[in-house]
Amino acid sequence: MDIRIIHFYPDLMSLYGSYANVAVLRRYLEALGNTVTVETVVPGQEADLAGADFLFMGAGTERSQKAALADFARFGSAVKAAAESGTAMLFAGTAMELLGSTITDAEGKVYEGIGLAAFTSVQGKTRFVADVYGATSLFPEPVVGFMNKCSTVSGVKTPLLDSLALGFGNEGEKTPEGFHWKNVFASELTGPILVKNPRLLAAVAEAIYRRRGETLPEERPVDRWAEDGYAITAEQLKLRCQSK
Amino acid sequence: MFLAILVCKLGRFVGKLVGKGSSMPGKFALKICPDILRRIQMPPHIIAVTGSNGKTSTVEMIAAILRADGKHVVYNKEGSNQIEGVTTLVLAHATMGGRVKADVLLLESDERYAKFSFQFFHPTEFVITNLYRDQLTRNGHPEWVYDAILPAIHPETELILNADDPLSSCFAVGHEKVKWFGLDKCSVSTDAPTGVYRDGAYCPVCKAPMEYDYVHYNHIGAYRCTKCGHAKPATDYTATDVDLENGTLTIDGGVTIQLAFRSIYNVYNILAAYAACRECGVAPETASGVINNYILKNGRMQKFTLGQHHGTLLTSKHENSIAYDTNLRYVASTKADCAVLIIVDAVSRKYFTSETSWLWDIDFDQLNRAHVRKIIFSGRYCNDLAERFSFTAISPEVWSVQPDIAAAAAELKAQGGEDLYVVTCFSDRDKLLTLPDVKKEAL
Repeated sequence: MDIRIIHFYPDLMSLYGSYANVAVLRRYLEALGNTVTVETVVPGQEADLAGADFLFMGAGTERSQKAALADFARFGSAVKAAAESGTAMLFAGTAMELLGSTITDAEGKVYEGIGLAAFTSVQGKTRFVADVYGATSLFPEPVVGFMNKCSTVSGVKTPLLDSLALGFGNEGEKTPEGFHWKNVFASELTGPILVKNPRLLAAVAEAIYRRRGETLPEERPVDRWAEDGYAITAEQLKLRCQSK
Repeated sequence: MFLAILVCKLGRFVGKLVGKGSSMPGKFALKICPDILRRIQMPPHIIAVTGSNGKTSTVEMIAAILRADGKHVVYNKEGSNQIEGVTTLVLAHATMGGRVKADVLLLESDERYAKFSFQFFHPTEFVITNLYRDQLTRNGHPEWVYDAILPAIHPETELILNADDPLSSCFAVGHEKVKWFGLDKCSVSTDAPTGVYRDGAYCPVCKAPMEYDYVHYNHIGAYRCTKCGHAKPATDYTATDVDLENGTLTIDGGVTIQLAFRSIYNVYNILAAYAACRECGVAPETASGVINNYILKNGRMQKFTLGQHHGTLLTSKHENSIAYDTNLRYVASTKADCAVLIIVDAVSRKYFTSETSWLWDIDFDQLNRAHVRKIIFSGRYCNDLAERFSFTAISPEVWSVQPDIAAAAAELKAQGGEDLYVVTCFSDRDKLLTLPDVKKEAL
């Protein structure tokens, strides 16, 4: 297949190695025999979302997030239509908040999100930084990651992680985390979560295939380093959970 | 006040006897007299140094220069830079009447805690070296740290700022007393930012795109916002020429300094220290005399031998991509064949985390040089390093994984005699340096 990925604001929303989510997905899809094109969009640049297979935006500072939102609002209808029709997408870190109905900053100023989902985000002066170890209904293996945010997200009915044994979720410690609806994946877990979680990478790839009416091949590439790295982190975080 | 000083001095005396930390006496003193730091008569100069990178080196250099100038300097060498530690330091050097017996109080200040230390007194000179992505697992991100430092800045404090850093230079907005240090275009400059990410792509003030006239490393250089006018200001203390090949630095066109460590990092630390000391009335020749061939004794660069290998340990803070990038640039600039050992075993020595996102912010492609013959990853997170390297242009033939640090050292000892560079953090360095086969050279 020819697969088209759109990466929104790769410099503005680039914290914690966010770009690696696109890099690892591209490599995975290419290893499956696909031809992958990645288009980047900077603020003010035109982009045609029609026919895109995957949309991605990474984490940014709270100020960069508002700058991204100011531009991203013009794509709101197109992103919602794409989500409705089953297009796969991942919004990671503070980018997740853009999908909701509002973002309230630490000074109380309210910004309109694109309204793909009904949740609201309220940012504060306290930063929640902690390792995360959680469970998703998408696959049996635990999800590992790191939370680095200053917001509370309320009103998510379909989280990506149903429960956390360690770390901060949408509404506080050990609450469900992220958002998942149709083929929309969103998580405030920062950094390259698709590198850290090989099962989540496969789930996203599967969503891309599903939208095309295809199924992922049985024979799939195994990324040894990512698998071994995941196993060690999962073990470390599990031990951490047990010791708490 | 008298009682608080007495308790602090006694506490410090006892603490020294039993080898305990330096914050407890100050903690007791603050309980007895919470605003003790306001009541104390401080020296004429209080210099504070904060920022992501270079704090300790800059503070040590400032102390050496000021002492060479005959000044009595008190500084937090023990590294306790929270308010309790600062209180211990100040009271330990105060008379029972509450006067600090020094010409200069010099403080290395934690970025996030500066506002607590400086609520009762304020620095006369405040050096802010830079603000980079650093320890995201505790600091969040650079703009978050910027917002944390802002309340620590008193209107009467003179800021000594890095003109080449687009973010920390924002502290000058609305502040009257500012002196700038920076580096002119020189042999190390490039036309465009380097590194994996572009923290200089957008203006920290208005988020419009920025442009660069030249760049010294990563996003440090002559930036210009295309919209609001935020730009590199004219500098008061300027490195007018840098020659890393021959190890020379020229300040203000006239002061020439021999660099003991030929890193661009060292240049900025020297500039910051030079600027701070000049602002305290030190003559240029006194400052340059001390800085010439100045070797930091803090063990960040340790020479050693391992079998036939001559080794250099380059301490890079984990979770700090610019520190890594700088050391990798140094390895890339060497000419002789070399091996590189990268150790990530404990991400932090102070707290638990399994977070490795920061590896993706490091420009490991800098090691894609013919003279870098071998790269070994070791420690608990060696697989994460290998995964990161699988996305570089460096041939997989060059790199390998050995989780056990002692086994990695044994493997190196058994083969070859090329130069060896070890890139790791304080949290992991001793896991190599204490191995019996590793012979440390005296500093």
